[in-house]
Amino acid sequence: MERKHFLKSLLMGAAAAPALLTACSKEDSVTPSTATTGGTTTTTGGTTSSSCTVAPTETEGPFPTHTPSSYVRSNITDGRTGYAMTAKITITNTNNSCAALAGLLVDIWHCDAEGNYSEYGGTAMQSTSYTNVHFLRGRQTTDSNGQVTFTSIFPGWYSGRATHIHVHVYTASGTSLKVTQIAFPEGTGTALAAVNGYAKTLSGYTYNKSDNVFSDDSAGVQLATVTGSTTAGFALSISLGVPA
Amino acid sequence: MRLIALCYRKIIDVNASRPWEKLVFEDSYREFALQAQYFNQERKYRTFGELLHFAPGAEQLHFLVSGAVRGYVQQLNNVVPDVVNNIGRLFLKFDKFQFEIINSDLADRTKHQVAISFYTEPLAWHDTIGEYLLVAPPQAESGEIPTQLFRLQPYLTIHSLQLAG
Repeated sequence: MERKHFLKSLLMGAAAAPALLTACSKEDSVTPSTATTGGTTTTTGGTTSSSCTVAPTETEGPFPTHTPSSYVRSNITDGRTGYAMTAKITITNTNNSCAALAGLLVDIWHCDAEGNYSEYGGTAMQSTSYTNVHFLRGRQTTDSNGQVTFTSIFPGWYSGRATHIHVHVYTASGTSLKVTQIAFPEGTGTALAAVNGYAKTLSGYTYNKSDNVFSDDSAGVQLATVTGSTTAGFALSISLGVPA
Repeated sequence: MRLIALCYRKIIDVNASRPWEKLVFEDSYREFALQAQYFNQERKYRTFGELLHFAPGAEQLHFLVSGAVRGYVQQLNNVVPDVVNNIGRLFLKFDKFQFEIINSDLADRTKHQVAISFYTEPLAWHDTIGEYLLVAPPQAESGEIPTQLFRLQPYLTIHSLQLAG
């Protein structure tokens, strides 16, 4: 609509109802008390709005409920395609004869079949309808056997690194106990050979002995046991000692 | 006709008073305290600013900590909080958001400060009346169009503009 016509119709409306307008102009919450904007705001970082603006006048609610972090789940697949894999991680105490540690937080994360992590492109806008933003990342609390289990897919790989899963173990109150990575067995008959690096094959793959994280792990402390097949899915298990 | 999309950047800090804000504050601080340790394994740094400056990859913390607030954003049911029209009702819908950590401190939670930017769907901007913008849904047919009248306020901006025919 043309601005001129709009203003004209507004003025005609005003002429027809002068009493109403007068009443409105006395309403402090509607009409600015000063002529300027911005200078009269009492905002404390956006949590309160300008004193020049109408305050919310709506029924209270909806009532927020405590929602755990989106990492707290056992199935971290989030629609990523790949060969199914369960990962069972047992946390033991190296300061107490390797006794199982219950109640610890265990974060894991790994790349998808193509070798991409969910945080790539991370600070972009997120769509509210798109729930799998944090794919292949999960958090579980160890049970009385010190165990957590995740359902995921067999990780792919990317240039310069052997196939791996990141693990971060925290105390129940959130203090970091251990940051480590899980390595995969290599060679004929292994899951790694069966998956064969997914679409990109294992051409140019970095094996554990050349990997900058795993090459010094001659004792195989970070090496998981992986059983299964591409049709039945894989089961990974490992026990990790932490000083607690 | 011009189509505008608005962005409201909501700052949440230790002064958060409403339940939703408090939950976002507490849970994002807890998640920050957890995840920041990955980038701070020698425990050399205290603040988010230091991590960002000195610890490689620490910029991922924006994304990593967003996992703690995503559930709260979904509870808003796509309604932008705080911003009301001139009759005091919430009226803006968003479908995208962006979470950021502004400041934080592993040893002092009162320094924790985050922002969520809510991005609205496009609105047709029909007119400006004094300090108020008159907007309507862009797909409105001819005839009577339901409109919204609101004023720009701190932390609310026109984020993008399209010139429509």
